[in-house]
Amino acid sequence: MTRGALIFAFNNEQTDYVAMANWSARNILRHLGIPTAVVTNTSTHVVPGPYCMVVDALPENGGTRYFEDYAETVTWYNASRTDAYALSPWDETLVLDADYVVASSQLNLLFEADQDFLCHRWAYDITGLNNFSGLNYFSRTNMPMLWATVMMFRKSKSTETIFDMMNMVKHNWLHYRRLYGISQSNYRNDHALSIALNVASGNTLSYKGIPWNLASLTPGHQLTQIDLDSYRVDFVNPAGRKQYITIDNQDFHAMGKQQLGAIVANHS
Amino acid sequence: MTTTDQIITHARARFEHAAARRLAQEKYQARMLFAAQGGMWRAGPELQTMLLTCPDLEAVILDLYDTPVKINTRELLAQSQQRWQEQMNAWLVEYEQLNQNR
Repeated sequence: MTRGALIFAFNNEQTDYVAMANWSARNILRHLGIPTAVVTNTSTHVVPGPYCMVVDALPENGGTRYFEDYAETVTWYNASRTDAYALSPWDETLVLDADYVVASSQLNLLFEADQDFLCHRWAYDITGLNNFSGLNYFSRTNMPMLWATVMMFRKSKSTETIFDMMNMVKHNWLHYRRLYGISQSNYRNDHALSIALNVASGNTLSYKGIPWNLASLTPGHQLTQIDLDSYRVDFVNPAGRKQYITIDNQDFHAMGKQQLGAIVANHS
Repeated sequence: MTTTDQIITHARARFEHAAARRLAQEKYQARMLFAAQGGMWRAGPELQTMLLTCPDLEAVILDLYDTPVKINTRELLAQSQQRWQEQMNAWLVEYEQLNQNR
């Protein structure tokens, strides 16, 4: 039984996702003790080794998106995430966003769960400034959002069905967008996953989630690394006062790519 | 300082504290989770109290995923108590440090 992480890394105009994936692979090995396969089209930039291997793939354009930290619209090569099942070389796979910071061994618990597929149901803002209720649900019908940021899956028929369904949503995005009343025109993996898991559960919305919440850091805050697994977030509270919070030995999703990119560059 | 100023100062200090405390709570709630005897559990008073009500060494209880699991009650109680106390101690250290820093 093989076990490892899988990170999709397709660079765009602004972000070196491959460098992020390399950096993350080292953190993953250090905390989780598992190797990482990086899915990319720029394999020459990946440092292969006992803990990191390359899976060649072509980037799939998921549209463009405005990134607050860059203050510009960039191309989003995120659409091949639905191929994780087919591309993963592992029997047990932990799919992570390149900008997900592994700073603890918490994720190892997912491999001990007697479940074939797990992802986060709830995300929250680390600073407490943003209420994520608008992000934890989507569409006119208030569908529960399931986050594709972290997914653990075991190869099985039921998991294959989930990824087949995600691919069907992706390839027929306009149809599913209208069916679920999604105002956002861009394809999003989170939406495809949410729809797929709902259908796979017989439209009962009864699926198993990761039993803790996804810590998220929205763009626009200052993120700095203060120690190996310790980070500081500087932000301005609603009263206009500068404030900071430290994240010690806790995993989080750094949605602001620019500052994480700077941290990664410091380690290169 | 007027009463209004004092209230504003107090409210600001509480706001600063709240985010850090919430983050610590999320972290330690996650660390209370553990897998044992074929199930997934959250260490804490709820699980431990329930296990203490089981008169026999073996029982079937629901885990976090609502799966019925046959368990050894004493072993699971000991594992839960150990996990809970370790993480509560770590949480206390972080909480006290947070109070000092602010």
